[in-house]
Amino acid sequence: MSESEAAPARDGYAIVVEGLTRVFRRQTAVDHVSFRVARGRFFGFLGPNGAGKSTTIRMLTGLLRPSAGDAWIEGARLSGDLIALKRKIGVLTEELPLYERLTGEEHLLFAARMHGLADAEGRRRARELLDFLSLADERGKLVVDYSQGMRKKLALACALVHGPSVLFLDEPLNGIDPVSGRVVTDLLRRLTARGVTLFFTTHVLDVAERLCDEVAVIDRGRIVAQGTLAEIRAQRELSGSATLEEVFLKLVAADVRREDLSWIG
Amino acid sequence: MDRLIAIVGLRLKLEARAIAGSRGRTLGLLLALPALLVFSGASAFGAFLLVRLASRTEPELLLPVLSALATLFGVTWALSPLIAGMAATETHDLTRLVPYPVPLATLVLSTLSANLLQLTVLAQVPPLLALAVALGGPQRSPFAFAALALGLLLVVAVGQTVGLLLHALSRNRRLHDRAVFLGIGLGIALSVMPVLVLSRGGGAARRLLLTLLERDVFALSPFAWSVRAAVHAGRGEGLAALAFCGAVALALAASVGVSTLVAQRLYRGELDLGEAGRAGAGRARFRLPGAIGALVEKELRVAWRDPRLKAVSLGGVVGPLLILFVLGQGSANGIGPSQLFAVAQVAGLGVIGASDALALERQGLGLLLSFPVDRLALLVGKNLALVVLRGPVIVALGIVALVYGGLTAVPAVLTLVLLTQFLASAADNYLAILFPNPLPAAGRDPNAPISGTRGLGAAALGLLAMTVAMAASAPFAFLAWLPQLLGEPWLWALTLPLALAGALAVYFMAASGAARLLLRREPELLARLRGEE
Repeated sequence: MSESEAAPARDGYAIVVEGLTRVFRRQTAVDHVSFRVARGRFFGFLGPNGAGKSTTIRMLTGLLRPSAGDAWIEGARLSGDLIALKRKIGVLTEELPLYERLTGEEHLLFAARMHGLADAEGRRRARELLDFLSLADERGKLVVDYSQGMRKKLALACALVHGPSVLFLDEPLNGIDPVSGRVVTDLLRRLTARGVTLFFTTHVLDVAERLCDEVAVIDRGRIVAQGTLAEIRAQRELSGSATLEEVFLKLVAADVRREDLSWIG
Repeated sequence: MDRLIAIVGLRLKLEARAIAGSRGRTLGLLLALPALLVFSGASAFGAFLLVRLASRTEPELLLPVLSALATLFGVTWALSPLIAGMAATETHDLTRLVPYPVPLATLVLSTLSANLLQLTVLAQVPPLLALAVALGGPQRSPFAFAALALGLLLVVAVGQTVGLLLHALSRNRRLHDRAVFLGIGLGIALSVMPVLVLSRGGGAARRLLLTLLERDVFALSPFAWSVRAAVHAGRGEGLAALAFCGAVALALAASVGVSTLVAQRLYRGELDLGEAGRAGAGRARFRLPGAIGALVEKELRVAWRDPRLKAVSLGGVVGPLLILFVLGQGSANGIGPSQLFAVAQVAGLGVIGASDALALERQGLGLLLSFPVDRLALLVGKNLALVVLRGPVIVALGIVALVYGGLTAVPAVLTLVLLTQFLASAADNYLAILFPNPLPAAGRDPNAPISGTRGLGAAALGLLAMTVAMAASAPFAFLAWLPQLLGEPWLWALTLPLALAGALAVYFMAASGAARLLLRREPELLARLRGEE
């Protein structure tokens, strides 16, 4: 069967996911997940802890093999040429895999070289990214001496340095100070305005509500809702003023305990 | 007191659960127990025999000898994290206990008490009992044992204080790096020293030791005081025994006091150890061209800045040189060309199983594999970096070849070590892809050494890789050796380039296969590294 025969219609979509499944030692972490993300969208992938968000990102970026299903990122098939797929994407994973004994600047130059950028272009982009993310003063420091927030910004810079058309960001704002957080969110907005597709996970629902054009909610490995906030409200017959947090709690059937603690009163 | 008992109980419960919950640790304990028992029994027998013999033949040397041994034991125990890379007993890790409203002195005492029930400490009891019986006979041995037990308590306490100081130092990355580097260097030096001393007859070392014993220099060591107290108790000299016991108790109190003080400053952030510093003031750049160049340069920078990798790279010189040294000692004519060639080949093959190309990446492997780089370039870059990292070994072998074989032997030895290493790296790539070294568990030091966790499959494949690399390198090694066998050194001008070119052709074929395998198995490799498979 040729690739085109197997692929679902994907014109206009940056990400097409069909029946993606991952089983870890008989435990299903992601269960037949399917969704599509249109090009240039800010797509929020939300869910409680352990719902399967990071596993999905790792599968979509070729870092974890799906047990079943397939996906297409900007036309590159996940089960096909992984190198071609990796040319199109930028990834920020939760673990922030970085080389601790390189300086921040060296790290960015290395990432640029690995993506095939010319030296002069790599240096220019590295300098601009370091300035933009307020890491310029720390460029000569080893990554091992970076704070968690600085590591996150460096990993984000590495994901951006080659100008990917799809960005996978797992909790990109965690651990970043509010000023840098604002700078990063502004940048992400600008990227989507230029046609870059953003696949974004977060636990901060008001951030997701503010930034995302569209969200999917995953719970226990299954997609329980997908669409714009207005569409999800309509699907679930919720009031038009319901916030994303209220919608989310309803969707994942969260048991928010109301009992009092006896010694607190 | 309740809190102290609760903390000791919690620590023991956690250790028991850690052992019961991990098959590896249970198996390790089952394997370690008989060895520990044998060691403990042999030490007890040796201690008893030493004291009885010394009492009869050289009674005046008994105190100096026992003082020296006690000092050696105490210093080795206290510096075990530096010498052996692991502490003989756990240090005071108070991080999780500090938030509770418990005085720091209680916390320090609780970890000290919990450590007394560790196997390594309990294994010291039989030798101490034997020593006490040998010193005091049936009547006075309880007093002698009490003094020795106090000494053991001091050793454990000092070990913990040193551990705490090292923990404080490790808060500053540069100091931590230096401590790790010096520790590994010290470990290598200590492991090589006996061979060197014994091979030279040990005359100078023996003379120095005798002088120190005659002057009873070790009497000044607090570790020796409990032994001296035990000797006096065994002789029925109660006052002297009590005086030495008092001195040990004071040293013990001082050690606990220092631990409390360091803990107080450490956990309240008062221990200012300065800035971590910068790696380079100038603009960063990668000088070597292309992806392979960047990879090689990255590996070299990382290895130079990582104290463990740097120490291992530099320490790698020791193995081959030690073999040559021992071979040279055993031969009346020094080291011959055959021995040089054999050691060069062994040094090249030593790459297999010891230098996993992907292990250097650790957490970075996910990042490296996220780059759209040709996997052959990636493997070649990493293998080339390994050749450079093993530069000290290669240079050392070249110098030895120059000294023992003359200038003509140098290119042959270097070619042989290089071609063997390339072929060994090619074989080792398969091992690295199929049996990667797992990452340390979450919450553990990501840079901690990894070893012995690849399983039996890796050992079998390692053996196979070694055999294949030996077989593949045999014709090229023969080519490099041939002029020597024929006594026609000029032939090297032909055979060496041929051997190297042939070996590189085989290397590229094998590396291409490994690259295809890597591309196919990337997700599995990452899952295996994370312990998900």
